[in-house]
Amino acid sequence: MTAPTLKIENLKLGFKNWAGVSNVLHGISLHIKKGERVALVGESGSGKSVTARIVLGMLQQLKTARISGSVEFEGINLETLKPASRHALRGTRMSMIFQDPTSSLNPVYTIFALFKEVLARAEPGITSERARQRAIEALADVAINEPERVLDSYSFQLSGGMNQRVMIAMALANNPALLLADEPGTALDVTVQAQTLKLMSELVEKHQTSVLFISHNLGVVREFADRVYVIYKGNIVEQGATAELFANPQHPYTRALLSAVPRITGGGIPDLDDDPGQFLAPLVAHPSYSEKERLA
Amino acid sequence: MSPLIRLLAKRLGTSVIVLIGVSLLIFAIARVIPGDPARIALGPNATTEAVAALRGKLHLDAPFLTQYGYFIADLFRGDLGLSLYTNRPVMADIAQFLPATLELVIVSGIMMVAIGLPLGILSARRRGSWVDHTVRLVTLLGVSAPAFVWAVVLMLCFSYFIKIFPIAGRISDTFSIPSVTGFLLVDTLLAGDIKAFGNAVWHVILPAFALALSGIGQAARLVRSNMVETYDKPYIEMAEAYGFPEKRIARRYALRPSLIPSLTIIGLDFAAMLGSAFLVEAVYAWPGLSRYGVAVILRKDLNAIVGTVLVISAVFLIVNLIVDLLVSILNPRIRLSQRAS
Repeated sequence: MTAPTLKIENLKLGFKNWAGVSNVLHGISLHIKKGERVALVGESGSGKSVTARIVLGMLQQLKTARISGSVEFEGINLETLKPASRHALRGTRMSMIFQDPTSSLNPVYTIFALFKEVLARAEPGITSERARQRAIEALADVAINEPERVLDSYSFQLSGGMNQRVMIAMALANNPALLLADEPGTALDVTVQAQTLKLMSELVEKHQTSVLFISHNLGVVREFADRVYVIYKGNIVEQGATAELFANPQHPYTRALLSAVPRITGGGIPDLDDDPGQFLAPLVAHPSYSEKERLA
Repeated sequence: MSPLIRLLAKRLGTSVIVLIGVSLLIFAIARVIPGDPARIALGPNATTEAVAALRGKLHLDAPFLTQYGYFIADLFRGDLGLSLYTNRPVMADIAQFLPATLELVIVSGIMMVAIGLPLGILSARRRGSWVDHTVRLVTLLGVSAPAFVWAVVLMLCFSYFIKIFPIAGRISDTFSIPSVTGFLLVDTLLAGDIKAFGNAVWHVILPAFALALSGIGQAARLVRSNMVETYDKPYIEMAEAYGFPEKRIARRYALRPSLIPSLTIIGLDFAAMLGSAFLVEAVYAWPGLSRYGVAVILRKDLNAIVGTVLVISAVFLIVNLIVDLLVSILNPRIRLSQRAS
């Protein structure tokens, strides 16, 4: 069996401050196999986004960050890599999509200039003609009809949905093995978000890209992910195949999270079973997808 | 028509309006200062007839708007009138003194950008480190004292105690350089006299640095704070996540958006140097327009006052125009919004 695209084991993160160390992640473990789409679900501040940033190696440079545990990418422990080789993975083998596409694209450069920069990560010294050619192809993949016009535009001239497609095209342009999607399109309206997610989901399937999908939106997760990890206050509290987990949530926090989704049929905002003590109950792993079994 | 040219035309139009306003204002203010210019020029012993004759020659007894009309008519002929202080055409005086001031201010401006910007960038890239703290402390020193204090301190330190720079003047007396542009740094090169050029550079360094110090501090602190703010933007995180090299992120992604707000202030600082130049010129016996301006105000030399203020305003406007153009080149939002209007 080939090594999983991403394997995180017992990852801990704390930030040092004047009062000591405040812990953010308390030893989380997860894995993503090749071509698998895995969701990491939790509320704000639960440690979802920092996990993605640790995978990319972006938090390590912070003097106050205390990180332990291991992150393996395609069978290689990233901590054993030299900083330069680790940095070389960014934008080439791993890429990322952000919450707000419009503010993630630099306003003083055209889409083409940014695209070229991204392409140059995998192909240093790429010519403008070739970059343009490849950018047009990538934009066609995300169903953009007028790639030439989009390439010569600035992000502030395009709609949020258009920018999100551009972001997805950029993220997949270098054919990465792992895509980190950090609450993609949360800043967009619901219909546009659904459209772009559908596009993204088709593309990652086509390219066999593994995805770590970070979200607090259960509806989106249910549509998009093969497997789900539920994270609460820096602990993974429940994991399992999407269908199984949604049909039969076991952990008190997961149940609370599921019942917190407002129904379109009305009835007001549901009451939360507000007993945070229960939420810290130990990990529930759905039997068919236990971590050990899948990795054996 | 290219949007930049359209912007230029628009700004030139407003500049002309501003100049007319300034000329009216200064024309009025100069006439409100107490004292009879003709009497001051001719001295206490002159006869009443002589004073009256001079007043007539200067149209001082005509109504205000008529006087302004004479002034504008002369201006279009390139004539700013006679200076009662130097007894020469004001144009000739300005042509003689302006280049010295501009030379000083331009060298200061170059120092401000060439030293201030890199310091600010360095500070922002190493934010939170000892390099950052040192830069911020040193630049705070530069900002916290006015130019004339630095002029005296630098002169004492580097011309008096340690004699590495000349104490005053634009060039040593041993050189005689034919005046072509009035800018010694240009004229010496035109004359092909490298030694004289070196001498002029040696003379300008200290006064220019004294004048530039607060600007250097301002520029560095401004660029730093704008860049640090930019570093928190999602598009910087995006650039980092895609592994763009740190140097490139600093230069292209963080600096350029930060330069836009910084440039406007740097431009204003640069123009404000024209004002602070007076005290520096006084300390270094620099024969510039600021010193001339003060001398003519004290003597109520009407034509010279109006001429000097007008020229300084024009320089101010030109600097602002250049800054506007630079900002719109850097900021596609402004550049493109011109097209829409």
